[in-house]
Amino acid sequence: MICLGVESTAHTFGASMVDDDDRVITNVNSTYRPPAGVGIHPRKASEHHAAVSDSIIGKAIRSSEGGQFDPDAIAYSAGPGLGPCLRIGATVSRALASYLGKPLVPVHHGVAHLDIAMSLGHVRDPLAILVSGGHTAILVHVDRRWRVYGETQDITLGNVLDMFAREARLPAPGGASVERAAKEGHELLNLPYTVKGNDVAYSGLLTAATNLMKQGANLEDVCYSLQEIAFSMLSEAVERSLVQTRRNEVLLAGGVAANSRLKEMIGSIAEDHDASFYPVPIEYSGDCGAQIACSGSLAFRHGVMVAEQDSHVTPRWRMDEVDVPWIPRT
Amino acid sequence: MDTSNLAAEPFHRGAEAELLLSKIDTWRVVIKRRASKKYRRESLDQKIRRERTYAEASLLHEAKVAGVSVPSIIGIEQQTNSIVMTHVEGSVVRDCLDTMNRRNAMRLFESLGSEVGLLHAAGIVHGDLTTSNVVVTPSGQPFIVDFGLSRRSVEAEDRGVDLHLLQRSIAASHLRDTSPLIKAMTRGYGRTAGEKVLRSSLAKAREIARRGRYFAIR
Repeated sequence: MICLGVESTAHTFGASMVDDDDRVITNVNSTYRPPAGVGIHPRKASEHHAAVSDSIIGKAIRSSEGGQFDPDAIAYSAGPGLGPCLRIGATVSRALASYLGKPLVPVHHGVAHLDIAMSLGHVRDPLAILVSGGHTAILVHVDRRWRVYGETQDITLGNVLDMFAREARLPAPGGASVERAAKEGHELLNLPYTVKGNDVAYSGLLTAATNLMKQGANLEDVCYSLQEIAFSMLSEAVERSLVQTRRNEVLLAGGVAANSRLKEMIGSIAEDHDASFYPVPIEYSGDCGAQIACSGSLAFRHGVMVAEQDSHVTPRWRMDEVDVPWIPRT
Repeated sequence: MDTSNLAAEPFHRGAEAELLLSKIDTWRVVIKRRASKKYRRESLDQKIRRERTYAEASLLHEAKVAGVSVPSIIGIEQQTNSIVMTHVEGSVVRDCLDTMNRRNAMRLFESLGSEVGLLHAAGIVHGDLTTSNVVVTPSGQPFIVDFGLSRRSVEAEDRGVDLHLLQRSIAASHLRDTSPLIKAMTRGYGRTAGEKVLRSSLAKAREIARRGRYFAIR
């Protein structure tokens, strides 16, 4: 069994082939980059996706021997995400499924972030931390579903880093720019630290950091402090959730999982509580076709399919609304 | 106070602090020591530990004065960021809820609701109200413990966080249908907090639950 996955929730259009041993055979992606100081424009991103979809999928289904893979199922990111972007991926996938006469599998983008991270790390039943532009959540799997143990009450960690980078005119991707600048910072500035139970709230922190920067504080110090405070907040919530849920595996997935300081902090907590730590490999942390193919392959083997006329997209779709019967993984 | 000459054995390791069990004469006491966290920078770590130790001790005292069933403060030790308090005999609700019969569970949650109502009526919010932070005594009386994240607040928002967290901790780690327990809790809460506080806190709890990411606008 081999599954083609098509990703198009936000800035990235990607396509990938994954087999039933959860091996990534191909993974081809193209990311829309807005100009400096500007966020993703949904329509412009969708135009990018429409323009590259043909060549990206073409490359993804080409085998290294020059032949073409024949997918047994076609998975697409059905949500959550930007409507115009989601619709490009869904339309292309629908057309392919119809042309090839193959089943169509809807995939939840956040679940897929966790699925690829679990497949690559051979993780069974972890406390999962999903940190990206769309999600900041601490999750455990209970009775067929991911349950949200803690999450952000306002903006995500990815938003914080991206929006700060934009205000500071640092180049995209914002997270990497902030991390680079933070390495040169040394002084921990006074910024609000907001943990509400297992939840965090980041909007006050973003505003305060932006104001410090505009008042002329050293940019490296602001980046350093922003990271330290934002990550310490999440780490505290993670540690509390780990103690409560008593999982012995900790999974870190999503785009912000590429940040080495965050990995260091979460890893230190896992170690303190004798849990194994599985950060997703950096090349699969950001949005990519492989996550959709991987999750789609698992879903297809568990009978998840959708008829062409019902293959909608769901721009708002919570992690805890999706049945995920393939966890604990064997 | 000085805890260095108290014989203490490890009792529980929480996320934030280590609990040690000790005895002062015939009194069973708990020493709560806030551990330093490797993951955060020294200055931030010191600040958080010191502030929380003081806040916790004074709020625990205020809750006691308001008549809430909580441990009693015996003293604090500044150098080690420790609080010494009375030990509550019983079991943690997280561990015993699934094996409890329905009637006892209903009664427990109604009493727990009353305790939370008293706390809120006194202008205190717990901040980490989960089934792990409630101890039920052999006689069935719930004690609220771990005031590490509690604050003085009369905001519906903060009371809503408490109720939301409690509801979510039941739903996330226990039975699938938790609505009867939540109803019992609400009943007890209204009795001590009053109708007005009940309404505003519940409305906020619902709003907070919907604040999470990607709730569909329905």
